[in-house]
Amino acid sequence: MKSVARIPNKELAIFFIVTVAIFCSLSPSFRTGENFENILVGFSHMGVLAVGQAFPILLGGIDLSVGSIVALAGMVGFDGFLIFGLPGAIVIPVMLATSVVAGIFNGVLITGARLQPFVATLATMAVYRGVTYAISGRQLFPELATRSIDDDLLLGLDNYVGHFPYAFFLLLIVAGLSQLLLAATRFGRDVYAVGGNREAARLAGIPIGRTTAICYAISGFCAGLAALILVSRMTTSQENLGIGIELSAIAAAIVGGASLQGGTGNAIGPVIGAFLLGVILIGLNLVGITTYAQPVLTGLILLGAVYYDRVLLGRRRLRLGKSQ
Amino acid sequence: MRTRTTDTYETSRREVMKNLALGALVAGSSGAALTGTLASSARAAEPAPIKMAFIQFQPHTVSSAWAKGIQDVLSIQPKFGFQLLDGQAKADIQISLMDTVINDGVNVIFVQPVDSVGIGPSIKKAARKGIPVITLNIDSTAKHAAHIEMNHYFGAMEIANAMGTMIGGKGKVAILNAPPGIIIRDQRTNGFVDGMKKYHPDVQIVADQVADWDRKKAQDVLSTILTAHPDLGGVYGVNDSMALGAMDVAKSKGIKLVIFGNDGEKDALEAIEAGDLAGTQYTDVFQQGRFAAAVATVLATGGVQASAFAEQGHLLMPYVIATKETVGTIQTYQRW
Amino acid sequence: MTGEILLRGTGLTKKYGGAFALADADLTIRAGEVRALVGANGAGKSTLIKILTGAVRPDAGEIEIRGNRIEPGSPARMIEAGVACIYQHANLVPAMTVLDNIFLGRQPTHALGLVNAREQRAQAERLLGGYEIDLPLDTVVGDLPTVKQKEVEIAKALSLDAKVLLMDEPTAWLSLHEVKNLFRTIESLKERRVAILYISHVLDEIYEVAQDVTILRDGRVVAACPVGHIDRPELLRRLVGEKLAREVATHSAGDVNESRRGEACLVCEGLTRAGVFHEVSFALHAGEILCITGLVGSKRTELVRAIFGADRLDSGRMMLNGRAFAPKNPRDAIERGVAFVPEDRHHDGLMLQMSVEDNLVMAMLASVSRHGVLQRRKKAAHTMQQISRLGIKPASPRYRVGKLSGGNQQKVLIGKWLQRGTRVLILDEPTVGIDVGAKSEIYSILKSLKQEGAAILIVSSDIEEVMAIADRVMVMRAGKVHGIYDTVRLTEPELISYIGGE
Repeated sequence: MKSVARIPNKELAIFFIVTVAIFCSLSPSFRTGENFENILVGFSHMGVLAVGQAFPILLGGIDLSVGSIVALAGMVGFDGFLIFGLPGAIVIPVMLATSVVAGIFNGVLITGARLQPFVATLATMAVYRGVTYAISGRQLFPELATRSIDDDLLLGLDNYVGHFPYAFFLLLIVAGLSQLLLAATRFGRDVYAVGGNREAARLAGIPIGRTTAICYAISGFCAGLAALILVSRMTTSQENLGIGIELSAIAAAIVGGASLQGGTGNAIGPVIGAFLLGVILIGLNLVGITTYAQPVLTGLILLGAVYYDRVLLGRRRLRLGKSQ
Repeated sequence: MRTRTTDTYETSRREVMKNLALGALVAGSSGAALTGTLASSARAAEPAPIKMAFIQFQPHTVSSAWAKGIQDVLSIQPKFGFQLLDGQAKADIQISLMDTVINDGVNVIFVQPVDSVGIGPSIKKAARKGIPVITLNIDSTAKHAAHIEMNHYFGAMEIANAMGTMIGGKGKVAILNAPPGIIIRDQRTNGFVDGMKKYHPDVQIVADQVADWDRKKAQDVLSTILTAHPDLGGVYGVNDSMALGAMDVAKSKGIKLVIFGNDGEKDALEAIEAGDLAGTQYTDVFQQGRFAAAVATVLATGGVQASAFAEQGHLLMPYVIATKETVGTIQTYQRW
Repeated sequence: MTGEILLRGTGLTKKYGGAFALADADLTIRAGEVRALVGANGAGKSTLIKILTGAVRPDAGEIEIRGNRIEPGSPARMIEAGVACIYQHANLVPAMTVLDNIFLGRQPTHALGLVNAREQRAQAERLLGGYEIDLPLDTVVGDLPTVKQKEVEIAKALSLDAKVLLMDEPTAWLSLHEVKNLFRTIESLKERRVAILYISHVLDEIYEVAQDVTILRDGRVVAACPVGHIDRPELLRRLVGEKLAREVATHSAGDVNESRRGEACLVCEGLTRAGVFHEVSFALHAGEILCITGLVGSKRTELVRAIFGADRLDSGRMMLNGRAFAPKNPRDAIERGVAFVPEDRHHDGLMLQMSVEDNLVMAMLASVSRHGVLQRRKKAAHTMQQISRLGIKPASPRYRVGKLSGGNQQKVLIGKWLQRGTRVLILDEPTVGIDVGAKSEIYSILKSLKQEGAAILIVSSDIEEVMAIADRVMVMRAGKVHGIYDTVRLTEPELISYIGGE
């Protein structure tokens, strides 16, 4: 009921719809069911990553290591399926567990060793990528590199209901649960409190260390899910999987309304943000603009989003600042 | 693989300009990306009836030469449209691009896969839509219309033969290899290993290390190998860039090494003429591109369905093992 | 009338570095009692509050709540024990709603762990209804006016059903009407046997609302008694201390006689900033030190910020050396030879990670560079000159400012603004938080600057300091000038009574 005004990311949703409409009118290929299928299948993993990234960003932190966690989880899957010949029922949980452990390690570095999130995850970004190379079955057994994974459970993920890929449903579940967690649980309220005013949260007796560790674990878990989606599509994995993907995920989360200063945002906006990036990139391709221009445009979108973020939040800070 | 001479860069740039002037729908190669972009989007208004797309591994001399060869054929007839896309050396990007061009309704896709396995599902998807896919040099594990390669296996066998002869039928040699995951790596490596066994069983292959297709990386890797094996007699670089990296090391250390590359790019041929490089497997890559375009034209205009091929077409390019003696036979216009 | 003892702190001690922020302080608060806690800036009030809320762990001492010993140092434990605090600085999450802020960290939940939104709202409505506080529960706190933000803080503390409530200057941003409401709330809390520790600088409030008073000075409890046993002048004397006051006053009188007071350098007429200060007029002469003093909240800092061009003036005019002076921003003021040393040197004045030299030349890079390139030699010469002139120890240009003692940091800060051509030097609380030795060094620096002919304007709350260094003192009360006095003809009790305002 009291509703329309309180729909989160209203402006973003409108911007998204307008963008889609523009590309639909410009390109006949864009306005096909198949194209929307392509966008859904091509960017669902990005959506999952962006939702995961929203948690550290809500805390006022950042997780630069997700791209490397994607590669690490992917390589764990590669080894499990191809070297050890294990079934998906075992390998998939191990992949996800690996990514959660990697996320928790980030959290421990930040809360335990008191490193800044940027520094901690910049370091683990290199560490996890290095571990990926070290455990790479492609290097140990080069002949496996040209074999595809044929596990039924894994490949079953790369399927469709009508135009909708399973990965998209996975994304909806992740985003839905995350939103529930953020909006309707005490943990969620704690996340906003820690990100919004750390000192106030501390004085309110909120366990800041635990909250932080859980947020980075969620980010890691989402990276594991993204790896699962990618590996099921490619039927293999690579050491350089997901290089640079963390920046797209951060961009999507920020475009989706998560403020880098922490404390503002939700889990739905990043999904729209991810698909907005997807729509723009694919749309530009179909309108005839090559991939060379895409990084430029990604950068411009990010700049626009950060500018918006600064203006919006600058105002709020100022208001509380006056009372001090 | 990332070394690109200004020369080729300039050539591809001029090429783009020319094609734009001719009205062909060409998005430029790396250098002229943005100019190409704007022009091609302007062109998009008048759709070409038969669209073809080439998804590169990443911009490189070889793929530029292929693109040029393909355009040589296609530009004769205005009804063909051609689009060049950058796979950014990332498997997931290539998959996305495959999806995009499939949806865009192209009639033929040329692709040099980043990952032979990873591209598989996309190739199957294209096949379901009846779009023929032609792979260049790097095959896929999924069946598709045609694969046109430089004849890696037999070429590498002959390189082994020639190298063995030059070092006197015995001694130690090393391989500077590509990262795993690409079929040509296995073909060239196996060809070289099998060739040595067959022609020069006394030659020992003492090292096989990954140097990422890269000249700089090859320098570092070979230096390490040389500390372990100072008596090394020969080096096989699985592409020319890595062979040239080996040549840099030999020159700077002032040691005599019999170095072979593979591909036959212009820099390598000049190095052979100068006597710094022992040889390479030369393939006319322009010609390879023309072959690919010819196959594509037949598939696209002849009403032949991709599914009509019971077996995947497999075209092996003729090649020359270019050494100091034979390099002169390669004409200037054939050099890329 | 005396209730049971709800909170008892004994021997509470906290050291920062070498200095005692709080030394062996005792405090008891009884049920149904309002105890006022007073002290000058830096007397240890904030440290005591932080210990009671668990934000800071004391080095020594014990806390008992209702007879149970509580291990200090944990906010969660103190809250659980029933101690809540309304902080002086807003401790709200600006991007969250009023409802969420009230229940920060302790939302009522369902069995599944989901927040029970209905219960939360019902509790909040009951609470606000009970205390007649009117707050829009779904509004984001950052969008509220500041007075409403204060009410959210109060509601947040009340919602804890606290047995002991700490109020750190709760009225600082409230209107008169709202203050009355707050006092009604305090009365009703007293009836519910809540113990309140009420911290305020406004003496009227203390006499109105409190039964007992504890006075802190230099980290020690100097008095703890019923409010009725101590009159205002006595309370103020205890607050600021009177030791040495007489001697210092005579000493400075001698200086004043020696100094040749020059011409009027900075003349201010009718300076007004709506709602802050009104019709402030005075003249500052070359070769004199004019101190502005008054209680916290008398708007002294706001006045000097406006003079420096950092804040806007609504009306009034200024003359500097006979020419109109209307700085639009601090840069204008600096160009006219006015320098300002802010109070909070950590936030406003110094780059703690940078060296002494970098800090000293920061405000005058133009004069040590040519064509935008820094001249190393000029820079070094200037730095060495300032170091020896100000007696900065250690006398090393490369030393990191963050590692210097408070007094030496203050000297660097003064040195940063002392350029050739500085005519008017404004300092805001130049000696807060530094030790006695460093204080006297800074006084001698200021006096020698005065002798060189500089006009110096100092904001100070420290009565001893004012009596020691000022030639004249301007007392401000609630944004207005109460009077300007020659220190030679002024006694300390007189000054205290002017400040306290009976």
